[in-house]
Amino acid sequence: MTTAPGIQDTTAASLDALAADAATGALSSERGIVYLSAGHVVHAESALTPDLGTLLTRSGALAPDGWWEAVDHAGVQHRVARRLVDSGRLSAGALELCHLGALFDAAYFVLAHGGRPRRFRAGAAHWLGTVRPVPVATVVRESARRRELLHRIWPEPDIDTAPLARVPDAGATGLPVRRSRILDQVDGVRTATEIAAALGCRTYHTLVELRRLAAGGLVVPAAPGAPPAKAGSGRPAAAQVDPDTALLRRLRDALEAL
Amino acid sequence: MPGIDESLLETMRLPGTRGASVVDWISGLALGTVGEAPGGDMEATAAETAELARFAAESSALAPAGGAGTGTDKEQPVQDVIITNTDSYHLLRFVSTDFDSTVFLHLWLDRDEGNLALARIRLADIADRLVLG
Repeated sequence: MTTAPGIQDTTAASLDALAADAATGALSSERGIVYLSAGHVVHAESALTPDLGTLLTRSGALAPDGWWEAVDHAGVQHRVARRLVDSGRLSAGALELCHLGALFDAAYFVLAHGGRPRRFRAGAAHWLGTVRPVPVATVVRESARRRELLHRIWPEPDIDTAPLARVPDAGATGLPVRRSRILDQVDGVRTATEIAAALGCRTYHTLVELRRLAAGGLVVPAAPGAPPAKAGSGRPAAAQVDPDTALLRRLRDALEAL
Repeated sequence: MPGIDESLLETMRLPGTRGASVVDWISGLALGTVGEAPGGDMEATAAETAELARFAAESSALAPAGGAGTGTDKEQPVQDVIITNTDSYHLLRFVSTDFDSTVFLHLWLDRDEGNLALARIRLADIADRLVLG
């Protein structure tokens, strides 16, 4: 299944080559998978970002039962997205907005840090089905732009990956609602990815707020071995062991193996 | 049930529309575009208008009297940003969703042919139906 011609030095170069060939299949790299159909990006996923099911169900936009019904009935035919709309659970616009949010979020991490491609599975399709294909060039350009945006806000990338802690006694009044909700999740233990999963928010958008908080002197990478800054805030690394997410991932893996 | 493209095409039916887009105000990404953009560059326009939208969305001075922090952030406290210049209008309409999205509709209207009051009402309606169907 692995086709050597699709594999270049970087994931971005591989995607460019696959787009030029109008390829269909799944390109996996160290940080996730990008699905192509006729040379366009139709889906992307990464362990660092919440998937569509998590974004929809954790926010309450879709009841978990509704999500599972669509997965059960349409997963094998690769039409889960279509099923969500046809069954009236989600409008076409809402599905497109949420799916594009998840797609560009995952693609950012797949393409960031000069990610290297591992293999291309020609013909592989995602069980979600096609929602709104995006040109490869748009995804690659957007990922680069997002990197620059983070750098402009606060040029210290360790905020993106380290456990994060609040700066004691730093005044945090008058913050915008989103930033304040994210700051509430900073407990000396969780990373940006775990905070995003806990809130059902896209990880890149969480990084933007965390870098703004870092620039404002409110958040720093936690010192190794330091105790959680907020005792009683609870469940360290809840995102990693969340049963919903774990179940969704297992199901996805099983469907992909079909 | 309208998706992004159908919603954008609907904005083109409003009198005086030059162009429209759906933009993420945190990342600056244009999720969909139709018609023309000022200066011809949709992506640059999206990134610039996103900055403006973000300031409006996060401003406590521009929030309703109850403050921006009263409700959930699913309901945007700021609804529209309206810019008028010597030859055109720009309307930004925030889109409210239950899930995590930070998007607005941007409508660019010709000043002579467009009707700002009508366009504002119609754009709000298009934004609602984009999400609710």
